[in-house]
Amino acid sequence: MFGKNHGHGGLTFDVPPAMDAAEAARIAFDHDLSLSKHHFVEGEHPVVRIEHLMKTFDGETQVLRDVNLNVWNGEIVVVLGPSGSGKSTMLRCINLLETPTAGHILIDDDEITGKSAKEVGLIRRDLGMVFQSFNLFPHLTALENVMIGQTKVLKKNKDEARAEAVKQLEAVGLGDRIDYKPPQLSGGQQQRVAIARAVAMHPKVLLFDEPTSALDPELVRDVLGVMRELALHGDMTMIVVTHEMGFARDVGDRVVFMEGGVVVEQGLPEQVFDNPQHDRTKQFLGSIK
Amino acid sequence: MSNTRRGTKWGLAALVAMLAVAFALAAPHSAYALTTNKATARPNENGGSGVIGGLATRLTWEGTVEEGEKVSSVTLVLPEGGTFDGSSTKITVLEGLSRAKVEGTATPADTQLEVTFSEPIEAGYLLRLEVEGMKFPADGGEVSVGGSYVNQDGEQQLAESKPIKTIANTPLQALVATLDEAPWVQAWNSNPFLGMFFKPQLLATAFATLVPGWLLCLLIVVIAYPFAIVLGLIFALMKISKNPLLRLIAIVYINILRGTPLFLQIYIMFFGLPMMNINIDNNVLGVIVIAINASAYLAEIFRAGIQSIPQGQYEAASSLGMNYFQTMFDIILPQTIRRVIPTVTSDFITSYKDTSLLSSVGVMELMMFAKNLTSVSGNMTPYVAAAIFYLIVTLPLIKAVGYVEQRIANSERGGGPRPKGKAAVKAASAGEATPLPSELGVHFEAARDDAFGTSVSPLAPVAVQEV
Ligand SMILES: Nc1ncnc2c1ncn2[C@@H]1O[C@H](COP(=O)(O)OP(=O)(O)OP(=O)(O)O)[C@@H](O)[C@H]1O
Ligand SMILES: [Mg+2]
Repeated sequence: MFGKNHGHGGLTFDVPPAMDAAEAARIAFDHDLSLSKHHFVEGEHPVVRIEHLMKTFDGETQVLRDVNLNVWNGEIVVVLGPSGSGKSTMLRCINLLETPTAGHILIDDDEITGKSAKEVGLIRRDLGMVFQSFNLFPHLTALENVMIGQTKVLKKNKDEARAEAVKQLEAVGLGDRIDYKPPQLSGGQQQRVAIARAVAMHPKVLLFDEPTSALDPELVRDVLGVMRELALHGDMTMIVVTHEMGFARDVGDRVVFMEGGVVVEQGLPEQVFDNPQHDRTKQFLGSIK
Repeated sequence: MSNTRRGTKWGLAALVAMLAVAFALAAPHSAYALTTNKATARPNENGGSGVIGGLATRLTWEGTVEEGEKVSSVTLVLPEGGTFDGSSTKITVLEGLSRAKVEGTATPADTQLEVTFSEPIEAGYLLRLEVEGMKFPADGGEVSVGGSYVNQDGEQQLAESKPIKTIANTPLQALVATLDEAPWVQAWNSNPFLGMFFKPQLLATAFATLVPGWLLCLLIVVIAYPFAIVLGLIFALMKISKNPLLRLIAIVYINILRGTPLFLQIYIMFFGLPMMNINIDNNVLGVIVIAINASAYLAEIFRAGIQSIPQGQYEAASSLGMNYFQTMFDIILPQTIRRVIPTVTSDFITSYKDTSLLSSVGVMELMMFAKNLTSVSGNMTPYVAAAIFYLIVTLPLIKAVGYVEQRIANSERGGGPRPKGKAAVKAASAGEATPLPSELGVHFEAARDDAFGTSVSPLAPVAVQEV
């Protein structure tokens, strides 16, 4: 039995419909139990459920082939993989910056693919994103950057939004920089503002796409510190694409290795790092060291 | 003696009249009278035919000596404010058509000019006094020349002349008069080039005369421009919209307006609408044409500006859950506006200069006034004055454009306490770095010169994220 056909420029994929939520949760639970440091609770459902995700650009370049992944509430998932393996594309599909060509993405058991523009807006506010190039709004101060989503999207009043923004900026160590505009901040400071901006929306999941790749080594530490703090002391669910192996090992509950548009291997960080099962993973980790 | 000038002090006039009456009664009755034939003044208005008070001119007075009279002296009297001081008088006595040999001396003293003759002038003689360098009262009005004369029986009253129309002397006319007399001005004007293009007197006149036209130019462009900005923004958004119909409308609108001369657009609107029985005030229509024309150029400037905003800005806004309008109005346009301010200002300068084309359809703007003054004076100086009026506005704006460009460039480079490390360079090479507006400016600058905007190339073509 097959669900809707997603077509894109001649290629057609037949993808089964999303599984029943309880059934899927049970299967995922059994599957992930040994692969993650997440404290699994009997009967819980994954907050992100990706099934048979496919993404094709221009009708030919198939970037995501068949991605299946579950992310649990409060879990820190680190995604590794060589350049071009589709890590960014997967993250961007999760918050619908890219429209999946086929497959299912469910957030708290709600399908997010195939939605109208208006619904997409509602879905996105639950999915925070931190970009490699920060993407702060350069015409706004740090404070305003963190406030604008709260006031415009969540319709919070100014005072509430300001209080929340100040709190989050202090949490990332920028309490003394709230009135600076992005061009006056260092890359590391900008990225920390971007993290505060995402966190202030209290999303269900925070997505990080190589947040430290554009930074000087000495600035990387500050940003990783903030992320570590968020991971260990917040109740955030995070999907982090990074090349920072130290961070992956220390902070990750699970490491996912992608290659060629599929998840090749996943498991506990020490499993994947110290005892990779697949040749491609071994090769990749070898090349990194 | 009385005077008929408008707006004179009535008390004084009454007093003078009373004295005159008293004098007439006291004098022995006489049947004779020196008849005033005429009193005229030479125009002294620069480029006009009026007689300006307070400025030197020539008064010509003529009287005929009546039967039985012998006139030994004549005293002309001007109303208060006029003066004969500094004048020189040419005395002519005619007997029929031949000149009589009569010597005379003229003694100017403030409002009075006394002319005494070496021997009395006989009856039937015509006396002509040409008083060079006298001045009528400065506040203008109708001026009659009166006075008295002395015949064999003593002093007699002189009949009032017909009133001479005079124009009040303004500071401008005073200035022109001063310039007229200044030796350096005469030397200056004797140079054919300077005299034709930079005649000081005409420059002064033109500055005063062109002001209404200049104000109309400013008014037209200042009213038109906000409409142009709104229209331009709408068409810019339409042109980058995902809807092909909206895109088509915008492309047709922008290309037709940018691809045809403004001159043609003006003719079509000014002559076409009345033919369809749509009659709009010329000035309002001028505003409309300028607004529509500028909107096409602004649309291209805005479009290029919007598309120069990195894709990452759309993505960041989208990932916060902002919708299309929030993204546009809170994130993209505020950044666009900062970037396009220099280009928009340049375009404003162009529109301001373009108002000159409206003179071709009778809008009373700067060029129209300059043209009129030039055709009256036969001199190019009014056009030079018009050029100065354009420059008064455009030069500071050109300067401001440069200043703003510099400032934006500096602020985007980050003037604050920012560590100057490799970080910035790295971020910039990460692909989504913000291009400096000064770089963009290079593209925008050509917007008006290039009818199809091929030079307005977005740095990276971006589709607007319609959320
Ligand atoms: N918009 C697009 N149009 C066409 N191809 C694209 C597009 N975006 C990504 N790709 C292609 O998809 C492939 C995967 O890209 P993606 O950015 O997901 O890789 P990645 O794993 O994030 O790599 P990196 O580590 O270099 O960031 C690449 O080959 C890329 O060229
Ligand atoms: Mg990537």
